[in-house]
Amino acid sequence: MTEKATLLTVYKLLPQTNCGDCGEVNCMTFASDLLERKKTVKDCPPLVKDAKYKVQAVKLAELVAPPVREITLGVGERAVKIGGKQVMYRHDLTYHNPTAIAIDISDKLGDTEIIDRVNRAEKFQFTHIGENLRLDAIAVRAASGDAQRFAQAVALVAKTSPLPLILCSFDPAALRLAVEQKGVYERKPLLYTATKDNWKDAGALAKQYSCPIAVFSPGDLSVLKALAKTLRALGNDEIVLDPGFWTRGGLLKSSVENLEMLRRSAIQKEDKDLAYPIMAVPAVAWIGESPDPKAAAYRESYMASLLLTRFADILIMHSLDVWALLPVVTLRQGVYTDPRRPVAVEAGLKAVGSPNEVSPVLLTSNFALTYYTVANDLEAMGVTCHLLVLNTEGLAVEASVAGGQFNAAGVRELVTSSNVETKAKHRKLVIPGLAARLSGEIEELTKWEVMVGPKDSSQIKEYLDKFWNASKTQ
Amino acid sequence: MSEPERSDLTKRLLELAEKFGQIELENVQVAVEELILQLQPTLATATRGVAALQPPAAKPVDRLLETEFVKPVEVYPGQVVEVQLGATRAEGGTRSVAVRIGGARVPPFYSFEGANPNKPAFAMDVFDMPLTLPKAVRQHYEGVMDDPAAWAKKCVREFNADIVSFNLISTDPGLKNTSVEDAAQTVRDVLKAVDVPVIVGGSGNKQKDPVVLEKAAEATHGERCLLNSVSTDTDYKRVVNAALQHGHSVVAFTPMDINNQKKLNRLLLDAGLPKDRLVIDPTTGALGYGIEYSISLLERMRLAALKGDPELQMPILSAASNAWGAREAWMKTEALGPREYRGPLWETVTGLATLMSGADLFMVSHPATVKVLKGLVDGLLGAGETDQKIEDWITAIE
Amino acid sequence: MEIGEMYEGERIRKPELYAEFGGLDVPRKFELVLVKPMEEVQHGKVEVVGPDLSQLQVGGAYPLGILIEVAGSKLDRDIEGVLERRVHYFTNYIEGVMHVNQRSDVWVRISKKSYDKGMKSLSWVGRALMLLFKRSLPIVEKIQITFFTDPAKVDEHLREAVKVYNARDERARGLTEEEVEDFYSCVLCQSFAPSHVCIITPNRMGGCGSISWFDARASSNVDPKGPNFPVKKGECLDPVKGIYTGVNKVVQDRSLGAIQQISLHTLFDHPHTSCGCFESIAFYVPEVDGVAIVHRDFKGPTVNGLTFSTMAGHTSGGTQNEGFLGMAIEYLRSTKFIQADGGWKRVVWMPQQIKDRVKESIPNEMRELIATENEVKTAGELREFLRSKNHPVVEKWKELEKAKEAQTAREIPPETLPAFVPAGLEIPAIGGGFKIILKNAKITAERVIIKREDSKK
Repeated sequence: MTEKATLLTVYKLLPQTNCGDCGEVNCMTFASDLLERKKTVKDCPPLVKDAKYKVQAVKLAELVAPPVREITLGVGERAVKIGGKQVMYRHDLTYHNPTAIAIDISDKLGDTEIIDRVNRAEKFQFTHIGENLRLDAIAVRAASGDAQRFAQAVALVAKTSPLPLILCSFDPAALRLAVEQKGVYERKPLLYTATKDNWKDAGALAKQYSCPIAVFSPGDLSVLKALAKTLRALGNDEIVLDPGFWTRGGLLKSSVENLEMLRRSAIQKEDKDLAYPIMAVPAVAWIGESPDPKAAAYRESYMASLLLTRFADILIMHSLDVWALLPVVTLRQGVYTDPRRPVAVEAGLKAVGSPNEVSPVLLTSNFALTYYTVANDLEAMGVTCHLLVLNTEGLAVEASVAGGQFNAAGVRELVTSSNVETKAKHRKLVIPGLAARLSGEIEELTKWEVMVGPKDSSQIKEYLDKFWNASKTQ
Repeated sequence: MSEPERSDLTKRLLELAEKFGQIELENVQVAVEELILQLQPTLATATRGVAALQPPAAKPVDRLLETEFVKPVEVYPGQVVEVQLGATRAEGGTRSVAVRIGGARVPPFYSFEGANPNKPAFAMDVFDMPLTLPKAVRQHYEGVMDDPAAWAKKCVREFNADIVSFNLISTDPGLKNTSVEDAAQTVRDVLKAVDVPVIVGGSGNKQKDPVVLEKAAEATHGERCLLNSVSTDTDYKRVVNAALQHGHSVVAFTPMDINNQKKLNRLLLDAGLPKDRLVIDPTTGALGYGIEYSISLLERMRLAALKGDPELQMPILSAASNAWGAREAWMKTEALGPREYRGPLWETVTGLATLMSGADLFMVSHPATVKVLKGLVDGLLGAGETDQKIEDWITAIE
Repeated sequence: MEIGEMYEGERIRKPELYAEFGGLDVPRKFELVLVKPMEEVQHGKVEVVGPDLSQLQVGGAYPLGILIEVAGSKLDRDIEGVLERRVHYFTNYIEGVMHVNQRSDVWVRISKKSYDKGMKSLSWVGRALMLLFKRSLPIVEKIQITFFTDPAKVDEHLREAVKVYNARDERARGLTEEEVEDFYSCVLCQSFAPSHVCIITPNRMGGCGSISWFDARASSNVDPKGPNFPVKKGECLDPVKGIYTGVNKVVQDRSLGAIQQISLHTLFDHPHTSCGCFESIAFYVPEVDGVAIVHRDFKGPTVNGLTFSTMAGHTSGGTQNEGFLGMAIEYLRSTKFIQADGGWKRVVWMPQQIKDRVKESIPNEMRELIATENEVKTAGELREFLRSKNHPVVEKWKELEKAKEAQTAREIPPETLPAFVPAGLEIPAIGGGFKIILKNAKITAERVIIKREDSKK
């Protein structure tokens, strides 16, 4: 077991002069930034420039490097980072760098079709819980067998979109022709792929142009490991592993096993040869004699979802159907949510149904799960009300009451800032049952009458039927 | 030119360059006393800037380096108990087959380190009164929603459900407030209609459910049903006693809190419930609405069980049909594509995520979900034809 | 009269007040739980000694003593404090009754509404309390409550109560790890940190600051299947660091193998883990080889540049982080406070607020030597401060300097450079590149182009 990166172990490898060149007040703060991945070793000028620190600089880079290499594909605003995983299970910390999703384009398509497909891939987006979910890259396939055509197609895609590129061919000569074009190599495309038959040429090409390179060895992890190790020895540092993915039968089983074994080898066994991001191609669901497009898209969609739960850092998909991509990007968003930071919705006043000035006013926390559960329950039960959503920093009611984020002062501020007093004529506030202990304080500060509601939102209707209409007349 | 003049000139030139992007000077003469040019090794793509510095090239490699891949197999000190649902005639019930769930010895589908004894089982939802269901689901049950027995039959015969999850929602005082006796009768009807194990669910009303489940337990004595459910704030002792008296198992339900789950499990075991008659339901969040909580909860619980935590060594239930609560599953929004596909896919992916995290028992509504997930399970366990040659996927995809 | 958790936060304001007991204007008040032998407790008896509610003036403030005597085969006197804390919660569950503070600070208000509804005697409060105690704490087999409102009686019993409080505190502070057979463990926070197990000894409180060894013991007796349970010490492998075989075994089991061993009284060598709710952090300041303390309420950066919450992020989650220790503030009062690291002699900085709070526990000679945020803001300033005061850590600095010099003097052979340099690290020419030096040169050019480097391509 190698040494673990902690504040002290990282600090010990820094210059410890507190010079401040990194922009922080001292080295300890910089150590914290390194651990939180806010900064990299490069951001410490003395470490980079001063020869006497060269050994520890390298040691430090290795110490703080995640067990799965982080690789950047593409350049500019749409460059995407993949890998960089620190743990096997998100509950152990969090997953970094959401799985990149690339859409494939066959070089057999005509130019107009290519442009159209690129545009559709770029335009795809879905907003969910305040986040914009999009696709990340384009994979051009050398399906035609014509290297010239492949190069043309690649150049066309590069011209049409700033998205990172994946150049797919088993023939290094075709890859070379494509990469060497102006407007292509500058884009740091991922070269797919080196195999046991072409690694020498593929590896040399990747090294020459400093491109990340994939290694593909379907079903054989020993060869995969050998390929990675060999390419590394040849000077390639940015490698992506593709162990092959089948969607049916005995090989689906081993595909999944291979993904599990690869990730465990990198993270728990610290196998340096396999410390790289993993690629999977759920688009293989489309292989077959005239597949029914809906069936193939359906299958590809849930297979891609499966891969999101099994360590894939980058996917190549074929379908551009919104309904097929939606579950995938939504699942990706969920899986890559930092479990340490609770998900929150925007605080403020929401209307449930069409409330008027005599409708009840309810209070809840801004923890996304709480909010959506409450809102869904209210809607389902046909309750019409004003819903005040308090900023509890994304914590549920019970936790935030205990932790102090749910407090009377906050409620008072919310009442003021939301202007609920212009929306409701009465001054009765129904608070969650789990916040009972704050009832007195909230009354004092807001000057509203506080009614302590049920602990569970599923009982709100019953509660309101019993208590609201009765008190309304008072 | 004097020093200050020189530096002024330089400044001025740079200002002009900054402003116009490029300036050209003609017929320039530069006189220097000493000029040092430092040339650093860089790589071919000077336009990209930051480069990784490689040490002087290693000796050339002409063949693949020797290496060995060793399977990273772990050994787990603990395992999950097996729970049997349904009792056959020989065992005192009337089911034609019993279904066993749980028994995991390795994490879900980590088959390289062992085999788990039972496949996950799929229960389909049946209700004791018609209710509003999303169109994609409802269309399959038109004509049987008034008749729970017929509904259950359809799920088993047409849609291949392993188990029927029968929910007595009409007992809810806010709905029909059906009496516990009447409810128990419908449970008997459903049991008669199918020969697979049955899960009996209440309405969610915390006061009434224990009474409903108690009566239902009595009415189904010996059938090894699964009573759904108890939590820390219901009269769980009543349900446990009924389970003990009549030979049933119990679902322990908690709202996404592992500590609460352990506490509830402890309480149930202390109340006399045997370990292999407890099924955990830690709440399944719909895709897009908390599914990641469920994924991590399940992964944590399953790993803890395998690492030896006795309070979590029970099979896990996933109510994947919660997916239908998500707007995306049923909304008729053109821009999001046809909901006939979107809906079932939403439930399928919800279920799939929990499947991959360790769920042993599922509650689903849509037939497509059952079909796909069962097929997937078989594939993940190695059954079925190995498909397409993917070695040349680059050309094989149209 | 209604009882329920929903009334917990209920406030009773002056206009709604029927009468109050204790409070700012009333000097004599107390509440006390005493564990008595079985035969001395008359179960169910509620007595009011002195004027009862109906005899009081509306809106008035009065002295009050609440004496609760309990008996039970599993009860011992050490549990009194735990039971006493419940009085606060239980009283608040009663509709129309408000309870604030504890011990001889207690303050109770009765609302007019409840009085008018029929709560005309304190005995109702007594009965409610009994009900709540019996319902939640079955090990309380017999319970008897007396309300003293006669000022003379309150005075008399207050004197006795204060003696009891002091004796309890003495006992709590005096007991040592060596004197007990069992420590206690707490796994309440495992929801948040699955590998975290708190070991609570008479000299080490739980990190959250809520559970002392006595509390854990009581809780373990009340609810043996609960989060607290006894830990047999086993063999003591190191009395200074606090390493025990029994402790290690429990930690291994309960963390499911994640943690193999812990030391109880040090920041180094397998320090105790933390979950996330600790009150304060002890952290190593390498520039001065000392230990600093910061508490949760401290705003802004500490002497090492990091805030409490940033360090909390690194210290929590059930991991062992050398040099960082989440702890209860009460641990500062422990006689074994980081004894393996030098205890108070190693402490170099702490917030003024905490320094004041634990004043009596800081050795006299150290008080002036420990800096606060008022004296220094950075590690550099701290170093100066410590040197000027000749703080004990200054001794060590000379040794450390010598060691460092010796290390840099050693030549680092080139082979130690790893075969492969991770990309992203821009290292300037190591033995590569060359210079062109032009001396007294005249350069003529037909055209010189000065081009602005665009960042966009």
